[in-house]
Amino acid sequence: MRFFRPLMMILALMLVVLGLADIAAHAQGGNPFGGSGGPPAAPPDGIVGWLLARQAEFYRGLSALIRQARTDGTAVWGLLGLSFLYGIFHAAGPGHGKAVISSYVIANDETWRRGVALSFASAFLQALVAVAVVGIAAVLLGVTAARMNDAVRIIEIVSYGLIVLIGLRLMWVKGRGLVSALRGRNHENHAHAHHDHEHHGHGHDGHHHHDDHCGHSHGPEPKDLAGPGGWRRGLAAIFAVGLRPCSGAILVLVFAFAQGLFWAGVASAFIMGFGTALTVAAIAVFAVGAKGLAMRLLGHSGGSGVLVLRGVELLAAVLVFLFGLALLMGYMANERLMGF
Amino acid sequence: MVSSLSRAFAAAVAAFACVFAAAPAQAHPHVFVKMASELVYAPDGSVTGVRHAWTFDDMFSAYATQGLDQKEKGRFTREELAPLAEINVTSLKEYDFFTFAKADGRTALFDPPVDYWLDYTDEVLTLHYTLPLKQAVKAKALELEVYDPSYFVEFSFREKDPVALVGAPAQCKATMAKPPEAELNKARRLSEAFFDQLGAGTVDAQLANRISVVC
Repeated sequence: MRFFRPLMMILALMLVVLGLADIAAHAQGGNPFGGSGGPPAAPPDGIVGWLLARQAEFYRGLSALIRQARTDGTAVWGLLGLSFLYGIFHAAGPGHGKAVISSYVIANDETWRRGVALSFASAFLQALVAVAVVGIAAVLLGVTAARMNDAVRIIEIVSYGLIVLIGLRLMWVKGRGLVSALRGRNHENHAHAHHDHEHHGHGHDGHHHHDDHCGHSHGPEPKDLAGPGGWRRGLAAIFAVGLRPCSGAILVLVFAFAQGLFWAGVASAFIMGFGTALTVAAIAVFAVGAKGLAMRLLGHSGGSGVLVLRGVELLAAVLVFLFGLALLMGYMANERLMGF
Repeated sequence: MVSSLSRAFAAAVAAFACVFAAAPAQAHPHVFVKMASELVYAPDGSVTGVRHAWTFDDMFSAYATQGLDQKEKGRFTREELAPLAEINVTSLKEYDFFTFAKADGRTALFDPPVDYWLDYTDEVLTLHYTLPLKQAVKAKALELEVYDPSYFVEFSFREKDPVALVGAPAQCKATMAKPPEAELNKARRLSEAFFDQLGAGTVDAQLANRISVVC
């Protein structure tokens, strides 16, 4: 009986989360601009919704600007600007990078700075891999698109496999955390509640720039990656998310190379990555902040609160695992990278 | 305690909801095809198949021709493109050639493509191929739909002569219909989404470019 209520609450929370996600997915289906109801022509999301729907146009604009840059050097500035916008908006949707990093920082009890560092590092790696694949395969070796597809496919499997492994590891760790929280409530609770308080303070203050240390920093330092658990754990997440290059970047790079402007494609890919990093980092910071808020509220509620938190972390770990699995299987069912 | 717990639930739920639902869209097609389709008729007035000409966008064309042998830079002959055309029609089979036909309301199936080749003009590729119907049909109403349900490829009719009837009886008339812009926007928001990857669904036939022939 003692555990009944917290358990029920965790179950309820999971249902609510899944339900919300489901409703959100279906609400999008109900209206071309994502709102529910209303005439299809009205864009309730305002300028953001409109911009999102125009992503395809951004994307197509890239090739026009590369073509133009061949004769008119100033077009490169337009190309970089558009690449930046494309990166921001491309990452805004339910892409796997955003979802995996957010779930990962929640599950792994990360600080917002580590969330930002992970986002930037993985986006940078993603751009780097795209440039490396096209640079080696197309520019140096001159292989065909079919061989390039094979290379990307292998990278993809490794990347998604890593997500599955990270999810499994988090599930194991967080599952044990939940079990031990359930067992020795008194002792455990005290320790965890204390830790949670500290963690929250860090996230909260950093977010609002009240903290001297955070306020004066111009970005995440490399050492942030080596937080609790060290470099290796952070690197695994960066590789899991950043290994798979985005198809758009590859197409832009190959096209730029064909136009004799490979360097413009390289610049575009990195600026795209910068835009992507900003979006993913913003969402990761929000996720950490929301968890911090939950922790502060739960700080007053003693044992059940800690149970709920461990439950939320476990849920996030399960989500990381499911993402990886879905991506792996999506790949199996759907070899879409320029399949023909 | 209960109230702080419920507030904490709200916060945690908000965090997750944000992660999965905050920005509703991302995906966009990565391949754009301008298409023209001819319906081919036998002397007895039955339809024997569809002859497609699909022109790809410049980025995909550059990607697809990457690394192919060529005698002269910037040009590809039909022979040089033959292996790629072979790959194209082979992989398109998996997607039913994005072409779906109904004769008087009944689904008509296609045989593997014949007479296929690629053409490279003005830095873009055009794939020409003929899809023969398994059985030639005489139909009062023929419906042909061309689209990619997963919206990785965006099909649209080309401006000039997108639809033609070849050797059709005089009384047959063809009309075409583009997918509504609203449906395209909806698809742009949903494809590649997380929920699609979990198999929750694909966009429906609203995306189809339709050709209707009434005889």
